[in-house]
Amino acid sequence: MIIVVLMCLKLMVLLFFSLCNLAVLSVCEVTMASGTSEAGSSDLKLQFAPFSSALEAGFWHQLTQKKLNDYRLDESPKCIKGYYYNGDPVGLPTRLTLEFSAFDVDGPTPVRCCPAIGTLYNTNTLDAFKATDKKALLEKEAKEIWDAIESGTALKDPSILCRFILLTFADLKKYHFYYWFCFPALCFSEGIKIVQQPSVLEQVFSAKQIAALQEAYDDLCIKRGTTAVPYFLMKYTDDTVRMAPLGDWEAFFTDTKKVTVGVYDPCTLSQHPGWPLRNLLILLAYRWGSKLDTVEVLCFRDRTMQGSRSIHHSVIFQVKLPTFAPNSACPKSVGWEKNPKGAMGPRMVNLSECMDPKRLAESSVDLNLKLMRWRLVPSLDLDKVINTKCLLLGAGTLGCNVARTLMGWGVRHITFVDNAKISYSNPVRQPLYEFEDCLGGGKSKAMAAVERLTKIFPGVNAEGYNMSIPMPGHPVNFSQTTLSQAQRDVEQLEKLISEHDVVFLLMDTRESRWLPTVIAASKRKLVVNAALGFDTFVVMRHGLKKPLVTGSAPSVPGSSLFSNIPGHKLGCYFCNDVVAPGDSTRDRTLDQQCTVSRPGLAMIAGALAVEMMVSILQHTEGGYAVASSSDDRMNEPPTSLGLVPHQIRGFLSRFDNVLPASLAFDKCTACSPIVLDHYEREGFQFLSKVFNSSHSFLEDLTGLTLLHQETQAAEVNHPHTNMYTNSCRPNSCS
Amino acid sequence: MSLCLLDEDSFRSSCKLLLQQSEELRDSWTWEPGSSEEGYLKKIALKSVVIDSSLKWNLIDDDEGEAADVCGLSEGSSSSQVFQYEYHIVYSCSYRTPALYFRACTLEGRSLSLEEVWSSVHPNLRLRLKHCPLNTITQQEHPLLGQPFFLLHPCRTQDFMRPVLQAAHQQNRSVNYVLTWLSVVGPLVGLDVPLHYSISSSSTKPD
Repeated sequence: MIIVVLMCLKLMVLLFFSLCNLAVLSVCEVTMASGTSEAGSSDLKLQFAPFSSALEAGFWHQLTQKKLNDYRLDESPKCIKGYYYNGDPVGLPTRLTLEFSAFDVDGPTPVRCCPAIGTLYNTNTLDAFKATDKKALLEKEAKEIWDAIESGTALKDPSILCRFILLTFADLKKYHFYYWFCFPALCFSEGIKIVQQPSVLEQVFSAKQIAALQEAYDDLCIKRGTTAVPYFLMKYTDDTVRMAPLGDWEAFFTDTKKVTVGVYDPCTLSQHPGWPLRNLLILLAYRWGSKLDTVEVLCFRDRTMQGSRSIHHSVIFQVKLPTFAPNSACPKSVGWEKNPKGAMGPRMVNLSECMDPKRLAESSVDLNLKLMRWRLVPSLDLDKVINTKCLLLGAGTLGCNVARTLMGWGVRHITFVDNAKISYSNPVRQPLYEFEDCLGGGKSKAMAAVERLTKIFPGVNAEGYNMSIPMPGHPVNFSQTTLSQAQRDVEQLEKLISEHDVVFLLMDTRESRWLPTVIAASKRKLVVNAALGFDTFVVMRHGLKKPLVTGSAPSVPGSSLFSNIPGHKLGCYFCNDVVAPGDSTRDRTLDQQCTVSRPGLAMIAGALAVEMMVSILQHTEGGYAVASSSDDRMNEPPTSLGLVPHQIRGFLSRFDNVLPASLAFDKCTACSPIVLDHYEREGFQFLSKVFNSSHSFLEDLTGLTLLHQETQAAEVNHPHTNMYTNSCRPNSCS
Repeated sequence: MSLCLLDEDSFRSSCKLLLQQSEELRDSWTWEPGSSEEGYLKKIALKSVVIDSSLKWNLIDDDEGEAADVCGLSEGSSSSQVFQYEYHIVYSCSYRTPALYFRACTLEGRSLSLEEVWSSVHPNLRLRLKHCPLNTITQQEHPLLGQPFFLLHPCRTQDFMRPVLQAAHQQNRSVNYVLTWLSVVGPLVGLDVPLHYSISSSSTKPD
């Protein structure tokens, strides 16, 4: 069973790798072609493949920690450790790798890798980084290598032949890291003459010799107590191979006509050795150059693919070494790494995405949301939700809960409008505020909400407006000052509604919803309205009027008074009312003016308001979507998330919700054509009349007065009902 | 069902066994010890990927004219880029299963975004993998390193391990939980588990 599973996966994996290999091959062909053309020339000089620096993400994390906690302003050189590997598949660059363990010089080196010790120069400023004398650094390092060669310490510990320098500057505000590697190599001024061209080992050695070589190398490793030996000496016959460490030269080689040295070679090119051989050849030339005729070099490469090990692809060649005059000065050196453009210069890597906590929070939030798409709702259009600009009118219990749910959906653009200050009773119900916010008269809700949102998620783009929304029946004409203030408020609100995609009505009075309802209807913006009673709530979307230019909309067949109502024919918050909004706070007791609702209600209603918005956004027709009703609960849902109701009316006493839908009312005091027409033609003039007048102004305008009179006449015989109060509707308290 | 759960001790012994085999097969898994008993298995794999040349390099021009080096091979700029994939097998206490953390970075050490990781996978395979039911990748802080990693979410691990473990139990066959699990989830994120592991494990008895 496991095997079967494995085999299937195996197939996939093989496919994956064969595809990768194809890519690799094409790269290699280019490199090898250039290799063979060089081999064709008459005077062959040996060329080495330079190291490419390879840094793991963990290295930069660790450097950041070291800089912050240990080094601080200390710029003195630090000892670090990298490693290189001789088992890479063809096509990979010859790398010197530094990982997070680089700072632990005495720590273990990965198995079968050779360590390389380096010097870290971390500067405090970018200027210091740029001004560092790279030539001097290189010459200093080269001199140390040369001294070790002269003194013979390099023979005992040849790891000094493969050193590096790393110059860095870490900009920890921007998480930009500047760096430049140097792999110091001493140079023969005339180059190194190839006597016998590089060949793949299996063309030179018999299978028996290769097996013996592998065994001899493994023995040497065991003897040295390591898993990789960077440099070694070698003697072989037709069926035996013997190896010795570099320091045993005098005892091992009695005849120096032809010697064979082995180098652990990280390069994968068939015509070139890697960098570690360079300084070894300098060492050999300095110590034995005059005695040696030719040197045979084995570039030992040892790879395991799919569990089978091979050294057949190792490379072997012969060179003639130049000689050094006794007491020669330190030869010239090279080694600064070229940048990806192929020029001499440092590199810079921007790690803000993986190190800046703010960026991390953003990508985590988005990734977590995407989890929904992987399995549960594959067709979910998250971008549509995330990019929706939401205007929250009211930052109280409803506003706070709506904002939190919007953040949960990854919505980035949230704007609050509120004119209240935070009072002592607020924090327990309004989850964006704390006790401290109430002190000293209380912070402005809109501003405090923005502050808290940014604290919760710095990626949010939140704004707050501490302003009042003018209301019908609340006169603004006391003075020129109050009038012009009202005009400014209206203009500000108009601007805000224009700039946003969805307007949430979350205020605590009914009449404050009138102005934004009118403006949003006129500007064809989606409105989501939530209002609370004591244990009842309504969450609804306002009907989204058709754009003015399209003229008369084709009627949707099957649409009736209560079902299949298309979005543009749906009513608004005021459509079900036969009284115009007025001052509802006058003549009310405190419990009628204030939020007196079951504490869980605002969270439920606030969450539903956002979820309703998200479902609407997922519908192909958005706000024009036909309203789903309770009856549609059994049918195929219109969106990937389910139904798109017009209203959700909830009754906490029964723990029940219903989904009614209703048509727009042609005498509506907010969204009827006549109101919108007056608003669009007269603007603030019309609005100020509404603010300053009593109910009757709007009721006269829309024809409600007439309707009242007709109804009253009809009711003469049935005087027991008063259907005009809104006492049983969920009121506007939040 | 307790059969499908893995306690931390069994996780460690499973890992130890996998390490032994890795050593035999010269695969490069290593055990990275944490603070106390805890730790994780780690493997680094390199992949060369052909990319479009729209590399976002920020370079400071600083040509300091190092003397021409006749012995240095100058490599032409290639259209391929090498990505370092880092895989960690960490024990998940909450799910009581192993969890596969991974990240990929360029040779400069810049971590790739999930989109970039996907775009480095061949399109044919990408489509298939993206629709794979096990494929719930999220981003989390590494529980032991505190650095951001991608995580193949362990919430469904028990579901797909159950039939394998039950079958093995019925046939009185021993199973290395971590290895079997890895052979299923590894390939989803480009991690190769050589078949040799299963061949050699059939002769070895865990616990």
